[in-house]
Amino acid sequence: MRKFGLAVLPVLLMGMLGLGSVPGKLIVWCDETRAPIMQELAEQFTAKYGVPVEIQELGFGDIRDRLGIAGPAGEGPDILIGAHDWLGQLVANGLLEPLDFMADIKDQFVPVAVEAFSYGETIYGLPYATEAIALIYNKDLVPEPPATFEELIEIAKELTDPEAGQYGFLSNIPQPDPYHSFPFISAFGGYVFGKSMDGTLNPCDIGLDKIGALQGVELILRLVNEGVLPPDCDYATMTGLFNEGRAGMILTGPWAVGDIRKAGINFGIAKIPTMAGNTPRPFVGVQGFMLSAFSENKALAKVFLEEFVATKDTMLALYQRDPRNPAYLAALEEVSSDPVVQAFAASAADGVPMPSIPEMAGVWVAWGDALQLIVTQQQDPASALKDAVARIRETIGCPGL
Amino acid sequence: MICTILKIAILGLTDALGIWAIVGLGVAGNWFLLATLIIGMGLLNLALLSRRAYPLRYLIPGLIFFGAMVVYPILYNVSIAFTNYSTGHFLSKEQAIAHFQRQYYLPENTESFSYQAFRSAQGDLILILSSRTTGALYLAMEGHLTLLDPKDPRLLYENNQIKAFEGVPPLSTRELVQNLNRLEKLALPYDEGVVRLASLREFKVYKPRYQYDPDKDTLTDLLSGKVYVPKEGSFTSEDGESLDPGFRVYVGLTNFVRIFSNRQITGPFFRVFRWTFLWAFLSVATTFCLGLALAILLNNPYLRFRYLYRTLLIIPYAVPGFISLLVWRGLLNTNFGVVNQILNSLFHIRIPWLQEAFWAKMALVLVNLWLGYPYMMIVCLGALQSIPSELFEAAYVDGANRWQQFKKITLPLLLISIAPLLVGSFAFNFNNFNVIYLLTEGGPPIPGTQTSAGATDILISYVYKLAFASGRGQEYGFAAAVSIIIFLIVGTISALNFRFTKSLERMSEGL
Repeated sequence: MRKFGLAVLPVLLMGMLGLGSVPGKLIVWCDETRAPIMQELAEQFTAKYGVPVEIQELGFGDIRDRLGIAGPAGEGPDILIGAHDWLGQLVANGLLEPLDFMADIKDQFVPVAVEAFSYGETIYGLPYATEAIALIYNKDLVPEPPATFEELIEIAKELTDPEAGQYGFLSNIPQPDPYHSFPFISAFGGYVFGKSMDGTLNPCDIGLDKIGALQGVELILRLVNEGVLPPDCDYATMTGLFNEGRAGMILTGPWAVGDIRKAGINFGIAKIPTMAGNTPRPFVGVQGFMLSAFSENKALAKVFLEEFVATKDTMLALYQRDPRNPAYLAALEEVSSDPVVQAFAASAADGVPMPSIPEMAGVWVAWGDALQLIVTQQQDPASALKDAVARIRETIGCPGL
Repeated sequence: MICTILKIAILGLTDALGIWAIVGLGVAGNWFLLATLIIGMGLLNLALLSRRAYPLRYLIPGLIFFGAMVVYPILYNVSIAFTNYSTGHFLSKEQAIAHFQRQYYLPENTESFSYQAFRSAQGDLILILSSRTTGALYLAMEGHLTLLDPKDPRLLYENNQIKAFEGVPPLSTRELVQNLNRLEKLALPYDEGVVRLASLREFKVYKPRYQYDPDKDTLTDLLSGKVYVPKEGSFTSEDGESLDPGFRVYVGLTNFVRIFSNRQITGPFFRVFRWTFLWAFLSVATTFCLGLALAILLNNPYLRFRYLYRTLLIIPYAVPGFISLLVWRGLLNTNFGVVNQILNSLFHIRIPWLQEAFWAKMALVLVNLWLGYPYMMIVCLGALQSIPSELFEAAYVDGANRWQQFKKITLPLLLISIAPLLVGSFAFNFNNFNVIYLLTEGGPPIPGTQTSAGATDILISYVYKLAFASGRGQEYGFAAAVSIIIFLIVGTISALNFRFTKSLERMSEGL
């Protein structure tokens, strides 16, 4: 409740000072990474149309949490920048306005990004960046990236020597990070939520205890049992060892690349190796612009988004500031000569959007607990996954089988 | 004199601010805060202007902050506990209905219009719409759409383009953009639908998606014909389908009933409760013992460099817990952590600190000892210095040894002043969310259970998991209800403890 109180107070203050959405002035909520670019765009927009635009900087997570309180109180923004997996919660709370113009220009975006920002058949966001994990390898230790997981296991076994602090393959999958384990599950046909007839995700069709998920988790367990994957490597350890040149291959996303470059590692990026001949499908996360349902300037905000944000220049500026793959095709093409962009784009092309329905909240913890029990040998994969799914079904309130 | 003028000036300024805020709150319709503010302002004025209320002046500021920071949040928390405030139920019913009334859909083959806007002599906006299908012209003013004869004398053409209406040229794009928020509010009745702004350049015929009947309190989906009635905070159809967003309603004791009837909660409740109790007890006992031992050592005047030691020993207290907890989490990692690397090279053992229930509990107690002993050491040092040294001299003369002196003099006298702090520390650790969540996140999970309670979850961290990391994400109403229950538990324990300390005091009165 303390967090809630912290969220309420500034909102009350903002309300008193009249900082919320008012007719004739656009308010944008974004975090400090995007604020400078938005500030420039705001000035251009004001110069062209004489309409003031105010950029309010908030912590990334605060944007989502405060919208629910500030929006209905008439103190929220017109436009917000966030992640696509907020969508379910925000839409269920009636906080977002559909972006109808996106239907006409969606061909200009990477398809999976538009899919991620769709809820049912409605598009609620203008995507600007996509991210998905891939295999990052140290070229000095692994000259050629493995194409299959059998190859990966062979290379990793040769390189791994824990006594010397050398590792062949590291991942924070069992830490437990279910996000990183999804490629294993999806490769064998596993899924989190199945789709209903109308194309929306069905929260009561949970695939985590089905055969595909089981095979994926068994592969993870095999990696642990064969000594290829330490069962308690966390993100900091993984990137730390890789940046010191003591790890051959890691499984992570574009967010780690900045530090790897700084550390001067001769690295390459490849698609996640195939598993028993199947293509792993990582989760794709998408960042984008959304429109508040409580905006007093919806038409104005749409003009801003369509004319000023959905352009190659803005998308490139956002990429320069926050080097995640552009979701805007023209911008992606412009930077596609960069091998890092190419590799992550290839990985994302295989991926599926991370589920954005609000029921996902209950899945992460249960799934993570199951993974931890499995890799620490406390429970066998089948029964751990079964328990996890039973738990998820109960918290969601699904009818019994 | 100057004082009085200053006083009145400051009071005047405060009152002005207050009145401004009152007007703002009145406009926003926040009656509760409005009433509180009016009462607060009244009291403030009374205290400063009335002679009889002189003592109040020193109490009022404190009371106001007490009201705003303590009483209001508590009342708010209690009132939320009786609502369904959660993901999908954020809005008020009016807001939810307004949300549905804002939903329009485009019928197939809908008619679209290009338009031009003009400003009338009175400053109102007048639109001329031109249908892209039939080419007919329409005049939109005062919320109505009327057919306009293309040969109307008010129109002035140039190259087949309308150049002026009643002698006024159309708005430029820049002016249009500035007036967009007025244009988007237009909903002009046309045929069976309404003509609304579709983009900067066009209007389209839309049809409303939902119709709300205020008499029957029903919502009809005009596309499918389904009728929805409000039920438990959602518009629900006969076949059980409910629409998002729902709205906030008072649900009575539902949240409390859920606490005591849900298997997810009642199943592990006693296990979690037992560990919470043990955890709070161990935290207090370990930190107190170590803190007291160090305090007695440092209190010895013959100890050299004792001020240096004291400063060094306080350091864990000075480092923010958020940082040291995350560092400890890394240190205790089974394969990569420094602690195990040392243990491994010395004794060839690796302890699964954060992976097995027993060791995770040990890790928590040890890390909390590191975080908590400096506080106990500081308060014990202070209390030790207040014990008169004659007592020890007398005891020494009577032939009491060191242990007897400690047991019969130091400890009882110390406890008089420290016991209430121990009770407070117990209550604090009972709800010590930070340590649990940052070190173990309540884990490790327990094999074979179907609830989210991990081996080291205490009540408050378990509630957090239930309320914010399960189901649909955010269950404020439910969390508020559980926090009331936890308050009752902690309150009862504290009350019993204080009664016990009172008896300690009475015992010491004989001394």
